[in-house]
Amino acid sequence: MSTRWYPIYQRGNPQLRVFLPNFWMKLVRPESKQLPNIVQFHCSMEMTKFDIKNYLEKIYNIPVVDVRTKIALGKFRRDVGKGYVIKDDDIKSAYVVLPKDMKFEYPDIFGSKKDDGEDEQKALSEAKKNFKNYIDRNKHRTDVPSWFTI
Amino acid sequence: MYLNRVHRTFPKLKKLISRPQSQAALSEQNEYSETPEYPPIVDTSLQGRKLRERQTLHQKIKEINTVEEKQIALNMPKYYGWKCVMLNEDKVPYNAMPLVQYYTRSHFIPVDKLPQYYEEFSGSADAVVQEIKALIEEAILIENCGVERTFTTTVDKPENSQKEDAFAKCIVKQINRIITNNLTDKVEHALTSQIDYDPRHEAFWFVGGIDPSERLVNWRKQYEWLKDRLHEPVDRPVQYIGTPMLTIRNRQPLKPLVPYSDAENPEFRVPAVTHVPILTGYYESFRHGTNIPGYWPGDLDEFGLLSYHGRGHILDRKESFGPQDNLEALHCQAMKASFGWLLAQANYQGFTTFNDITYPLATQTVITNGQLWSLYAYQLNTIEMHHDKVDNPKSNICFGTKPLKLYDSIENGKVQGLNEDVLKMLVQFYLNAPEERDHEMKPYLGQEEQVVADIEDDNRRCWLEKRYKHLVANRPRHELLPETYLWEKIYKIKFNTRFFEAKRRPFELGINPFNRRLDEHLPPYIPKALRPYPRSRKTFETTYYPKV
Repeated sequence: MSTRWYPIYQRGNPQLRVFLPNFWMKLVRPESKQLPNIVQFHCSMEMTKFDIKNYLEKIYNIPVVDVRTKIALGKFRRDVGKGYVIKDDDIKSAYVVLPKDMKFEYPDIFGSKKDDGEDEQKALSEAKKNFKNYIDRNKHRTDVPSWFTI
Repeated sequence: MYLNRVHRTFPKLKKLISRPQSQAALSEQNEYSETPEYPPIVDTSLQGRKLRERQTLHQKIKEINTVEEKQIALNMPKYYGWKCVMLNEDKVPYNAMPLVQYYTRSHFIPVDKLPQYYEEFSGSADAVVQEIKALIEEAILIENCGVERTFTTTVDKPENSQKEDAFAKCIVKQINRIITNNLTDKVEHALTSQIDYDPRHEAFWFVGGIDPSERLVNWRKQYEWLKDRLHEPVDRPVQYIGTPMLTIRNRQPLKPLVPYSDAENPEFRVPAVTHVPILTGYYESFRHGTNIPGYWPGDLDEFGLLSYHGRGHILDRKESFGPQDNLEALHCQAMKASFGWLLAQANYQGFTTFNDITYPLATQTVITNGQLWSLYAYQLNTIEMHHDKVDNPKSNICFGTKPLKLYDSIENGKVQGLNEDVLKMLVQFYLNAPEERDHEMKPYLGQEEQVVADIEDDNRRCWLEKRYKHLVANRPRHELLPETYLWEKIYKIKFNTRFFEAKRRPFELGINPFNRRLDEHLPPYIPKALRPYPRSRKTFETTYYPKV
């Protein structure tokens, strides 16, 4: 379904055949601890509960038992340059209830970041060491700028 | 002698004058003892102090004399009412069973026949069934085919479920009439019991160990000292509201179904469901907690025997929930209704959600639409499940059957296939006689004053009666709750764009209206003309809120 107007077909006119629906759903990580059979989505503001159910059932073959929706107020913030208060768009969240024997766990897409942290630490300590060497080398030439050095 | 009359300040002056000649009387006791007596060492950490504060509150509520004052005391902290998780009898979301079991600490035992306890009534029930069988068939027939009815339906519930409930109520009334009429000369309690139609059943309690909401976690994040307690579980007030079609109650309680010692059986422990209730399909509402078992305190028939509930709400459930979940919804309804009714009865015995019952109570619940009958027997062992008693080893027990068909169909003006087993079980419920207990029933109520009506002081009695009834009526407040408008939230709270304005609104003065206590209001003003003669300075009437 789409909320875009589909032009009424006139004989002889070129007929539009392909319409991308402006319905979208985004799987999000649940805000707080959730039952294992409940999945949270952000979705297009125009979608109703029936739309959400059909979307998941017809396109992805997901058995949907119940759908609950809420519209969360967008965040208020100051505009960075101008200084006045602006508001982000509202978000429609859908809590989709799967049959109680099903379980959904939000995937861990980026893996654990433990290794990256170690690498960073290594690079930092290396840089510190080099800087110390540089200071030691030039400790008797305090009045010489850094670019003029050995 | 006449000085008192000369001027009213004289007695006050007399008090002020010190007596330099007087001496303290010599204490007889020796202030030394053989072994040193130290005061108890108490935990002075924040949590320790808070725990002691709560314990003193619970102790104070325990020491209050009357039922009504205890109920007011439960509501003392909140002027605008508790933010309760609402458990309605006829609103059961999908997969509700684990949550309902945890909130009522009910271990559910599915059975095909009534539990062992009902064996003793088996023989007499058979005889009764043979006597009433024809009458029951006739009643079912008349209610189904012989009456043309027009139900007035309301808009707040779907029409078909209202119709089913109304029809079930007619059948239940008939069957109850037939069985009680038959039993009047057989068992004593059939005559002494009272029957209520559409009574008001409400119950209020606290459930501890529930996860904090997203909002609460965000609130905790702003304080340094709450950093390691961000996800600490919280206490949630819970309110049950239900309306049975018909209830029977008596002066004496039913005997417990299983021995009280079984309550601590580890097999009966219910797994914890700590999820935020609004995320699992429940809603919250601000209201005063009420405990009403269908009558006011002081009624003599204060123990329930049997309650009949409708199952029209099942028709309103979505098709996608499936038959298995509908069956569980019935079990949930039975557990909520039984626990709610027994909890309210226990409250009238002087126990509250903070002071656990000292003896078990039992009730019987029937859920029906006229044709399908599910029968439940419930034993209440504990009502204490708040924050400090999450690990309470006791649990309540519920026996329940599947929906059983009382008759198959009605063909050619005849009831086909009347199921005598179902009828027998129902008669067994009626034959289960209440019995006087040999222990004290109301240990936490006063000796002379047990309800407000026992209070001698006219002013105090009338005031408490009026306040209690007004409180549990949960009428909307006369003045609206102070609201923080959205523009204020944006331009005053989130962004300080109006710093030059005078700060007069509650949130600018650091006042949280939800922390207002019940007694934080001006008592009624006494006009000067009505003040006692001569010269009374009392401007406001006295209030008699319980001191907790």
